[in-house]
Amino acid sequence: MPDGGGLLGPSGPLAARSPVWPLLLGLAALAAATAGPWPGLILALAAGFVLWWASRRSAGALRRAREESCELSEQLIQSQKMAALGELAAGIAHEINNPLGIITQEAELLGLALEPVEAAQRDGSPLAAAFLAELRDGIGEIMRQVNRCSDITHKMLNFARKVAPVCQPSDVNRLVEDMVALVEREATKQDTRIVRMYGELPRVTTDPPLLRQVVLNLLNNAMQALERGGMIFVTTRAAEDGQIAIEVRDTGPGIPAAHLDKIFNPFFTTKAPGMGTGLGLAISQRIVVGLGGTLTAQSLPDAGAAFVIRLPATCGGEGERRHGAADQGTGH
Amino acid sequence: MTSLRFLVVDDEERFRGNLVKLLTAKGMQAEGAADAEQAFAALRREARDVILLDVRMPGMDGVAALPGLKALAPEADVIVLTGHASVDDAAELLARGASEYLVKPCTVDEILDTVAVVRDRRGAGRL
Ligand SMILES: Nc1ncnc2c1ncn2[C@@H]1O[C@H](COP(=O)(O)OP(=O)(O)O)[C@@H](O)[C@H]1O
Ligand SMILES: [Mg+2]
Repeated sequence: MPDGGGLLGPSGPLAARSPVWPLLLGLAALAAATAGPWPGLILALAAGFVLWWASRRSAGALRRAREESCELSEQLIQSQKMAALGELAAGIAHEINNPLGIITQEAELLGLALEPVEAAQRDGSPLAAAFLAELRDGIGEIMRQVNRCSDITHKMLNFARKVAPVCQPSDVNRLVEDMVALVEREATKQDTRIVRMYGELPRVTTDPPLLRQVVLNLLNNAMQALERGGMIFVTTRAAEDGQIAIEVRDTGPGIPAAHLDKIFNPFFTTKAPGMGTGLGLAISQRIVVGLGGTLTAQSLPDAGAAFVIRLPATCGGEGERRHGAADQGTGH
Repeated sequence: MTSLRFLVVDDEERFRGNLVKLLTAKGMQAEGAADAEQAFAALRREARDVILLDVRMPGMDGVAALPGLKALAPEADVIVLTGHASVDDAAELLARGASEYLVKPCTVDEILDTVAVVRDRRGAGRL
């Protein structure tokens, strides 16, 4: 699998944030190429000096940009890795779906082969009745297990699918509330209380169905972490630069420090087989990065877990463009 | 649904053979083809109502074979059966003349339901 750096290509997030660099380098190269040897050299040296001077001046700005973009670029790398993993998952799903197709057919053919025996049963053969019950049960079970497998492979294919956001001006508090209302019935059943702490939000453009999916994933995880009782705090607030933040915090067991950097990996799950696919947070982070934002997790010992979605005022931006470019590169 | 003529194009022999058997058991006429060339030959020999097409095959794959199949059998509905479909693949397949696609595993009843929907949509006469 290609690593994240390779997928990001030569222009890392830092280079993209300081457009002065390629400009100066281009100027130096152009000077050397177009003018005669001596003026060319002088021009190149002059350009080199300007470059050096500019680099000193912008070093501080670059350091700040690096710190600022560190989180974002890490998430970008992560999301590119996941695009690569998605391709892999899709390949595996394909290979598994083909044998599942044949298993389904064999079960269907067995069912058809039983029809004459069923006629014998109707004619009163007790032997045929017992034999039939056993076989029908087995065939039913084969079909159920095939369905279980194809559930997984279809989810894997879904994970591999490109998420191209369709953005529109949205009322984020409303989107969040839709999902809170959706899980509240389930929450009441397990004695979990959901506390709403919605703030005044500026209007942002984002992709409502995608954002709903992310919020729902976080709420479901919180409910599963609590199992019974406990509280979930859902907070929305305006953040700096017209950004907004959505936080889902629970009073569950929290996330062990050793897991914190793994939970966004596809297929990382601590849940029992059949209970978790480990794709929820991976898909959520890919979506949020695609919307130009970040998704981060915090956990304090015995103080539960908190997940924060940060979104820019306008959907997309750096994250989305880079994401789209990498998608084209990987093809299908 | 009255008896329709199916051509099952899939390189995997067991899958192809099973599908022919299942379709026959449902009162359809069905024949298999192991690759695009065999499918072209079968269509030159005899007209079909429905072509069930696998995407990944050695030699010419299903997507590449689609225009050729549609040229030989413009009246036939091509339904793609694949182990892998993304939205992009689906758009590409439909643009190339496929009527519908199904992700494996699927039962013969699901295939026949899809055939019925597709033929209704086209207003194709029932044989
Ligand atoms: N609110 C939470 N509290 C504690 N652990 C969590 C929480 N949310 C996620 N996790 C951890 O992260 C893992 C991955 O989550 P996710 O990607 O949604 O997959 P899944 O829910 O299928 O396991 C979970 O198995 C769990 O260990
Ligand atoms: Mg989950």
